[in-house]
Amino acid sequence: MPLFLKEKKNLIILIALILVQFILISIQVPLGQKDNYFERALFSIFSPIQHGIISFFSSIGKIWKNYFYLREVQSQNQIMEKEIFMLRQENNLLTNALQKFRSEKEIQENLLKMHENILPAQVIGLDATNYHKSVIINKGTMDGLKKNMVVLDKNGNLVGRVIGPISLKEARVQLITDNESGIGVFSQQERAMGVLVGDGQGQCSLEYILATTKGISEGEEIITSGFDRMYPSGIKVGKIVSINKTKSLHWQIKVEPYFDFRYLDQVAVIMKDPKEFFEN
Amino acid sequence: MRNFVKVFLGIFIVFLLNTIFSKVSPYLILLFNLFSLVTIYFAIEKGEIYGSCLGAVCGLLQDHFSFGVYGVAGLAKTITGYLAGYISKKIDIHPFFRNFIFILILVSVEFILWALLYSFISPDSVYTGRSLIFFQPFITALLGSVLFLLFRKFKRSEP
Repeated sequence: MPLFLKEKKNLIILIALILVQFILISIQVPLGQKDNYFERALFSIFSPIQHGIISFFSSIGKIWKNYFYLREVQSQNQIMEKEIFMLRQENNLLTNALQKFRSEKEIQENLLKMHENILPAQVIGLDATNYHKSVIINKGTMDGLKKNMVVLDKNGNLVGRVIGPISLKEARVQLITDNESGIGVFSQQERAMGVLVGDGQGQCSLEYILATTKGISEGEEIITSGFDRMYPSGIKVGKIVSINKTKSLHWQIKVEPYFDFRYLDQVAVIMKDPKEFFEN
Repeated sequence: MRNFVKVFLGIFIVFLLNTIFSKVSPYLILLFNLFSLVTIYFAIEKGEIYGSCLGAVCGLLQDHFSFGVYGVAGLAKTITGYLAGYISKKIDIHPFFRNFIFILILVSVEFILWALLYSFISPDSVYTGRSLIFFQPFITALLGSVLFLLFRKFKRSEP
């Protein structure tokens, strides 16, 4: 190696490393939301480790609990908890469907079928830069997960949808509070239709409600309309917390989602391709 | 070989802690950056090349936790690792307070670099988590200086 290169070896390595990172960034940035092979590969490498760590500590926690509590009572409790979880999902979805679409038989039938397709999943990771954007769950392609599948919390409230990358046993879920998320919704009482957009700070804003629309009030419940052909109608999303008048044509409406990311340890994935909801 | 085992172990422990912390409370990951501490620690111990290479690896891992563009934290950490190794050769950073200032400056530089790159690439502004993220350099530096002091004491006590 020439002498000048030897002297500058450290600097050359640093520049090479910086260049590699720049190339990495420039490969990913033009793709935007689409996941590329590199991202998918890294996700497939690191997520199973994360999954393993969580599972390991969960099992230790379980052993600990089993040691201290009566085994039989705990197993019974677990079964009942599972049952309650499933029943809550069914109950919420069906109650909403019945309340809003009593006359619409088709939607009712769709929602009745829904309970067969619920898959409970555990949240194993949060987005470190902004935990209101996305989470990782412990279900993947091996469990039949596909992109755009709807995710609910344990009370049946909307959490978000599955986005890429999806590995064998892990998948990323975009939360409704992500500022790149948009959902077709309406208010339960006034039926004011709009688009719910996340603000990336834990809340959402209800857009495109004309200032001429009257009757909307704070505390009113917001539910999915199904008009985005992504989320099925009748799912509870959140409630209106503030309504302000602006100089524009629309109201400025803040919506607080029902799900709380701090208690988002268990979620339910509706194992149905969203397209199927809107067929026929 | 022993060095690689040490580095691997260091990275694994930080990965493990980050996974657990993100599960316990997401605020914890905003408060301190353990990947920066591993990078700085090994950069001081082994030099700037080790520091920059390790910075690149730790950066990728941090990017995995942030589900963002891979390379953003990597780039910031590569530079931090290099600077940590280079500066620690020139000045004595072993006294506790000097060590604290050294880590504070490095983590702050890394944070600014990361925030600039993130704002440039991402359409979103940096999420501050009720301004908690601004405490990150200070808390990381405090934690780092205490941990490094303990490691040095432990090393000295080794036969």
